[in-house]
Amino acid sequence: MNIQSNRIAGYLCGAVALAGILLGPVRATAATDANAGTWRMIVLTGPDQIYVPPPAPVNDAGYQSELAAVKSAQASMTKAQRQAVDYWNQGGVFAWNQILHGLVASADLPPEPNADNTYSAPSAANPFAFPQFPFANPPYAARSYSYVAVATYEALKVAWHYKYLYNRPTPFNAGGGVQAISPQSDLPGYPSEDGVVSAVSQTLLSTLFPTQVAIINQKAAEQQQAAIQAGRATASDIAAGVELGKAVAAIFLTRAANDGLKAAGGTQAQWDALAAAAVARGETPWRSMETPPRPPMLPLYGQVKGWMMTPDDFLKERPGPPPSTSSSQMAKELADVKYAASHITRAQAATSYKWADGASSPTPPGHWNVIADTYLQSTDWSEVRMARALALLNMSQQDAAIGCWDTKFAYFNPRPAQLDRSLKTQIALPNFPAYESGHSTFSAAAAVVLTYLFPQGAAYFNAQRDEAALSRFYSGIHYKSDIDVGVTHGIAIGGYTVRFAQSDGADFSK
Amino acid sequence: MLQDTCVCTLRLRALALISASFLLAALAPAPASAQTIDDATMLPGRTLFSGYLYTHDSWDQYWEGTLKRVNGNLGTVSTQTSTIYVDYGVTDRINVIAKIPYVWTNSSQGVLAGQEGWQDLTLAAKIRIGGVKIPRAGKLNWYGAGVWTNPMRNYTPDFLPLSIGLDSMTRGVRSTLNLSTEAGLFFTGSGQYTWRENVTLDRDYYYTNNQFFLTSDVPMPRVVDYELSAGFAKKRRMARFDFNKLITQGGIDSGDIRRQDAPFPANRFIAARIGGTVMYPAPFVRGVDFRFEYSHVIDGRNVGQSNTFTVGIFKTLHFKKTP
Repeated sequence: MNIQSNRIAGYLCGAVALAGILLGPVRATAATDANAGTWRMIVLTGPDQIYVPPPAPVNDAGYQSELAAVKSAQASMTKAQRQAVDYWNQGGVFAWNQILHGLVASADLPPEPNADNTYSAPSAANPFAFPQFPFANPPYAARSYSYVAVATYEALKVAWHYKYLYNRPTPFNAGGGVQAISPQSDLPGYPSEDGVVSAVSQTLLSTLFPTQVAIINQKAAEQQQAAIQAGRATASDIAAGVELGKAVAAIFLTRAANDGLKAAGGTQAQWDALAAAAVARGETPWRSMETPPRPPMLPLYGQVKGWMMTPDDFLKERPGPPPSTSSSQMAKELADVKYAASHITRAQAATSYKWADGASSPTPPGHWNVIADTYLQSTDWSEVRMARALALLNMSQQDAAIGCWDTKFAYFNPRPAQLDRSLKTQIALPNFPAYESGHSTFSAAAAVVLTYLFPQGAAYFNAQRDEAALSRFYSGIHYKSDIDVGVTHGIAIGGYTVRFAQSDGADFSK
Repeated sequence: MLQDTCVCTLRLRALALISASFLLAALAPAPASAQTIDDATMLPGRTLFSGYLYTHDSWDQYWEGTLKRVNGNLGTVSTQTSTIYVDYGVTDRINVIAKIPYVWTNSSQGVLAGQEGWQDLTLAAKIRIGGVKIPRAGKLNWYGAGVWTNPMRNYTPDFLPLSIGLDSMTRGVRSTLNLSTEAGLFFTGSGQYTWRENVTLDRDYYYTNNQFFLTSDVPMPRVVDYELSAGFAKKRRMARFDFNKLITQGGIDSGDIRRQDAPFPANRFIAARIGGTVMYPAPFVRGVDFRFEYSHVIDGRNVGQSNTFTVGIFKTLHFKKTP
């Protein structure tokens, strides 16, 4: 009897452990951040900018039939639906960030050359034709991550405002026998955060990554269904959230259509002018080392609209010029990088590959999102606070992209392999000027923001930053000064985001 | 007569070994072991057969999935391989084989650094399972082999097409049938199934098969290869033609290189080759054989259209039985 029951207990423990392994960690969202509706907005004027009508009361017959529908959906849940519930229980903000890594990586391929040695630009009007739209290079990725993150954050603050204005409970707190197959919480249900997050992500990502629209639509529908089956939303909670999300996403699509990206590719005349300006300064201008030569990557990206920095801020923070291409310092730096690349150790090569972030990758901003995800996963933060974290990180990454590209094309400085044709690189050579290092700028800005969010990780973030930055030296694609200046610049750029965060009404340390 | 047969047999073996040695140094200089244990002869017991092979493989066109193209940032990709080869006859029916290659890669255009280093050690055991005489045709023999390869050091497979190999431990089983006539004609068919261990990248994520993976661990699909050859061997000379096909397993459209992307270690490499080998004994020196081979990829997927030349020199030593 004892042995028998012990054995059964053992099986049960094993089953529970196995379920834990299969289902993954369920994040317990303890904190609800009831005041998030008052947190400072970034693009919207305030939560009232979007109107969400009052919901039907709990005792309304229509709402009661919605609850019955939730119960029935829970009762008829398939295995696949149960897996979807567990997947989306980790939080829609987190899940969509993970989905975005894949979307960016899928689109991170440069156009191939045409037969006449020219390159066609990807076309948003005809995204499926080769070269497919978009080419999710690092600036495009930084911008995509930031739009999704900021729009989601703004929309969730609006949602939180109405949640606590109307205070309609989630189905599992509404009585009537709906199960909580979801982290327990007192967060009001209307409008649904799953509706908001899925609609913002779906609307923006369908425009940013149009060839992936089938996957995007499927994920959005899955999230909405999962929220209902988890017992945390009814159909009207979802519908109100979706409306809210779409309204906020529309504001961001308008901003995106006018933020300067469309002109950032430049024209032949503008590319020629950049080279002519460098020659006029007495410098060797950058040129593409690819065969056939490829136009530079988004040379006017420095003029794209930032999040936390104005055009004046970008100009103020722009570093001074690199060592002259004819200077003895540049000759020494060139010799140093050539020596490093041709004497690379296995450990240094591993670092170079780890941080290559080239074709088919989520790019450096995505790499820092992957790093952030690990920390986010270990928190008990509410969806709105998760969204804040990703918004802060990705605003810093977009501002870093703008600041870095502004610097690169202000100086149009050649890569080491251009100044010394015998220098061979250990990773693919990025097709834009050297000064300053993008990895260094992105990583320094990211480390500053992540250190603000997770002070306990400061040493790790800074170590990753230095590793990312130095990897570009080992692999032979950057001079040391590109890296040092990029890190300093990135720290300054990240500071703008942190100063906003310290006064946005959500700061823990206050 | 016996002596003559033995020498001829050794020469046949050397021929087959070299012909097969680097057939798959295609887009990815893959571990070539699958092809080396495929001939139809056995060393007599207490015989050592060892040698050195140099292989030069190059291509300037490759298949990106099914799209054949050139790449101005690579130009011609060359892979040179220097291999030490040792084969020992434990008994007349059981042979053990070891092979150690050193590989250099290079591209004629672009800025990417070529790589070099010791690649994968191959160890194999080969057994003659049995044979039957077929009236008016000759003798039919059946051979089996177990093949194991392991990277000799930690190199990256993540810098294709310039990585020196795929950095994967493999295990394979091979079966070979050979028909030889009295007049010296021979026909051989050989096939191998290879299991490959996962490889570990230096990065924590990758994108392949329309999917993003948040891990450095890459499952490697299994590989099938087969070879058909026909030749003639007489009076210490030999010539052989062969057809070889390597097929990395996977779905019809999975595992292709994407447009303008670099190859990935787990890509679905497929290559069909034709080739020829000649062999003859060294003048003046007893027990030494030379071998020359050329092969060409006639069709492929996710591989370069390689031209491959191999030269080799081998020495045979017989050990007397201790009384």
